[in-house]
Amino acid sequence: MLAKKMLRDISKHKAQFISIFLMAFLGVFVFSGVGGESVGLEVNVNDFYNETNLADGWIYSYGINDLFLDQINALGATTEMERQYVVDSVANFDNDPDVTLHFVENNTISKFYLLEGDKFDINDENGVWLDKSFADAKGLKVGDNISFEFEGHVIEKEIRGLGYSPEYVYHASSASVIPDFNKIGFAYLSNKAFPGDNISYNVLEVKFDGTSENYNDLLSYHMDGYYSSFVERSQHSSVSQFADEMNQHRMMGDIFPVVFILIAMLILLTTMTRIITHQRMQIGILKASGFKNHSIILHYVSYGFWLVLIGSILGLILGPMTLPQLFYPSMSATYKLPSWNPAWSMNFVYVAVLMVLMSLAVSYYSVKSISDEKPADTIRPKSPKVSTSGFIEKLDIWKHLSFNARWNWRDAKRNKFRALMTIIGVIGCSALLVCAFGMYDGMNDLKEWEYNQINHYDSKLVIEENATDSQIDEVAEAVNGDKLMESAIEIESDSVKKSGSLTVLNNTDLVTPTDYDWNKVEIADDEVSISQKMAEMLDVGVGDKVKWHIMGSDKWVNTTIDKIHADPISQGFIMSADKLEDLDLNYTPTSIVTVEHVVNDYGGVKAANSMKNMTGSWDELTESMWLLIYILIFFASLLAVIVLYNLGLLSFTEIEREIATLKVLGFKTGALRKLLLTQNLWFTAIGFILGLPVGYIILDIMWKSSGDSFYILPSISLSNFLLAAAITFALSILVNLMFSRKIKKLDMVESLKSGE
Amino acid sequence: MCTIIEFKNVNKEYKSGDHILKAMNNVNFTIDSGEFVVILGPSGAGKSTLLNLLGGLDSVTSGEIIVNNQHVESFDDNQLTEYRAKNVGFIFQFYNLIPNLTALENVELMKDIVKVNIDGLSVLDSVGLKDHANQFPAQLSGGEQQRVSIARAVAKQPTMLLCDEPTGALDSKTGVLILNLLQSMSNNQNTTVVIVTHNAILAEAADKVIRIKNGQIESIVVNESPKMGTDLDW
Repeated sequence: MLAKKMLRDISKHKAQFISIFLMAFLGVFVFSGVGGESVGLEVNVNDFYNETNLADGWIYSYGINDLFLDQINALGATTEMERQYVVDSVANFDNDPDVTLHFVENNTISKFYLLEGDKFDINDENGVWLDKSFADAKGLKVGDNISFEFEGHVIEKEIRGLGYSPEYVYHASSASVIPDFNKIGFAYLSNKAFPGDNISYNVLEVKFDGTSENYNDLLSYHMDGYYSSFVERSQHSSVSQFADEMNQHRMMGDIFPVVFILIAMLILLTTMTRIITHQRMQIGILKASGFKNHSIILHYVSYGFWLVLIGSILGLILGPMTLPQLFYPSMSATYKLPSWNPAWSMNFVYVAVLMVLMSLAVSYYSVKSISDEKPADTIRPKSPKVSTSGFIEKLDIWKHLSFNARWNWRDAKRNKFRALMTIIGVIGCSALLVCAFGMYDGMNDLKEWEYNQINHYDSKLVIEENATDSQIDEVAEAVNGDKLMESAIEIESDSVKKSGSLTVLNNTDLVTPTDYDWNKVEIADDEVSISQKMAEMLDVGVGDKVKWHIMGSDKWVNTTIDKIHADPISQGFIMSADKLEDLDLNYTPTSIVTVEHVVNDYGGVKAANSMKNMTGSWDELTESMWLLIYILIFFASLLAVIVLYNLGLLSFTEIEREIATLKVLGFKTGALRKLLLTQNLWFTAIGFILGLPVGYIILDIMWKSSGDSFYILPSISLSNFLLAAAITFALSILVNLMFSRKIKKLDMVESLKSGE
Repeated sequence: MCTIIEFKNVNKEYKSGDHILKAMNNVNFTIDSGEFVVILGPSGAGKSTLLNLLGGLDSVTSGEIIVNNQHVESFDDNQLTEYRAKNVGFIFQFYNLIPNLTALENVELMKDIVKVNIDGLSVLDSVGLKDHANQFPAQLSGGEQQRVSIARAVAKQPTMLLCDEPTGALDSKTGVLILNLLQSMSNNQNTTVVIVTHNAILAEAADKVIRIKNGQIESIVVNESPKMGTDLDW
């Protein structure tokens, strides 16, 4: 019979129970959905790396011979190794696409991942295993022939298979961030397919025990001078690019869902407590008629339990199934992984279980406190809370306040808990909104800052590594451009070591460093400027000395910091060529920038990249961020509606009798609606104002965790701030409209009867 | 004396499924201005229905209700609200004061409904509660709360005071005081008072007693010498 009562209660208080269900569902849905996306990325890429036995490190050298192998083997830590000859070639198409060829010894490390065709055969002299994305872009199929030109050789091979490689999850030319598979590709061939007599291996792929730092130390200690460089896995361009992407997703996946689920839990718990308190008299009646305490407790506890349980389970299943599918399509255009599947983490289950347990605990304690009373007391309504007159009522203004203002002030004062919950709910929603809009602005600011305020060129020509000085000068003159040197460096202060970048500028107007407020920073010829974020990370300032070296070189130099500039995407030093040479370092330009739009091919130039291309690439790269922002705004709004409606409904049932009385006395529906709206608006206003700093803090945490190279300070534009405010208030009014029908339908006759 | 309230052939039916319940069956009566009327009947007789119809909380199935020369039965929801605001001063069994507002504020609340100048304190004084003006309902006794509710009802100077078991929740001593108060309102200020009750004792204090049973008028008796509340035998 109690079960029947439960079902009837639920159907009678549909809205409240639906919102309990929705809270549990949405909380777990968003948490496990956004989380499932970022965990999925990690699982997918790690599976791919493991399955293909991705190398732990790459040792670059020339003519790697058997003696070299023996020496590497003698290091002790090496567990597997394999030589490759890696060379850039041009495939025979009109647009001269760059295809990186890998002539491999046996392909046991960083294995080619076959999607179509035959398995990689180490004895095949005439076959090539080609990049699937490149093949698709060129319309190539298994069985087609393709020829490559490199270092004086021209080879023509038959395509045996198409697939991916763990070293090319992310593969873009140095000229562009976004891969253009029409222009770039890779291919794997047997060493027997090499055209010359002697193949001169230049890369040794290794797997080793222990940390990569250890291995690096071993290598530089024993093999110094015998190899040109060592790249560990995390520094590999494809691996690190994807790791950065994953980081971005993880930070979003960590912060937002947590905020979201906290609000959901809060509202869930409030609602459950309230529903049970409203059943106080009935609990008394059940007790008076002889029901045992524990069956009453069980009855009420099971109210929320089933709904929360079903909601959580549904969220747990549907979240990872749906939300990741929104992100993966745009990502799979840039990154090449054989599978894009959302993944589960036990964390999701823990959160769902926590949700269920907390709802159980809360309902248990609220029933317990009521059922511990004597039934004689419970059966009577709780004596009403006495209002008191505070100092505001003693002021003269009080007399001039309207009934509306007075009633709302006292109502809020008498129901502090409800007021607090509403405000907290609004804080959460507005914080999410402010944060989402702040991200939107931050991303736009970053683009404007980098591509408009700092860089003013139209084309950037990437210089080939082996280009001669005269070649470079010729090109620079031809395009009327300025030379630029950019290289990776490592900077060390007293306590910290950080990798960053070095930019060497020569009095160019095309690249103008700025401070955070986008004011130009003039860096004199004999000055070194450090970026603000790098200075913060190293805890140094103007006048401090730091030690640094260019990556790939052992030569450490000491420098005093003269200036501080700010840059959104590159952290490190800016100095002049003279200053660099003063420090006894080689000035080797890596690119030429010009206001001219360059399409011609020049000798010594690897690629020409227009500003339009770069901003386009940036847009594509940040596509998934945008998507996340929109999803956030949507769910934050949905949350706001549920929170406000739910709490509004709770307060409505509490003041139903008062409203009915006022209606009987002759108050118009409009006036009563205004009464409720006033309160809603005030709480919304308070919550929104308090939500601002909270959103700001979340935004700050997010930007800070976005990686060492990004520098964005949390801010929100006035228009988006107003938009966030408008959304919050519009939702508040929308919810109020939902109540106006309830006021109209309110049964006045009832209010005359019941003697509460 | 002139007729201020008139029920003409009033019928009220409630439908529940196929079943039709006749809650009010061809009811006719009149009430004069300033009269003190008790409508008496056992539970289920149709008292509440009559009160709801007269108070503008419900509408008739057929018939006419004329109050102050207005045809109440023809009003829509908005007009009914207007009618309640201007014509009816409700007094409930359970007082129905707004718990958030002090006694004085409960009375002055009426300023928001009708455009009359209300001196809340003097109205409270007239029910003997001037000293409790700034107390909240929960700080007042039942009798005091009922007096506030009477003050609230008379403050807007309605056509009638419509009282639903006004003494029902009070002990006899307090009940007598409330009844006396209502009687004096009727006698001294010429306010029409309609009390709906099942308590036959109250009938002795009335100018006119309307008895109803099974939704019909059983009798209408005009009392030539109504007793004062204090003289009633509780």
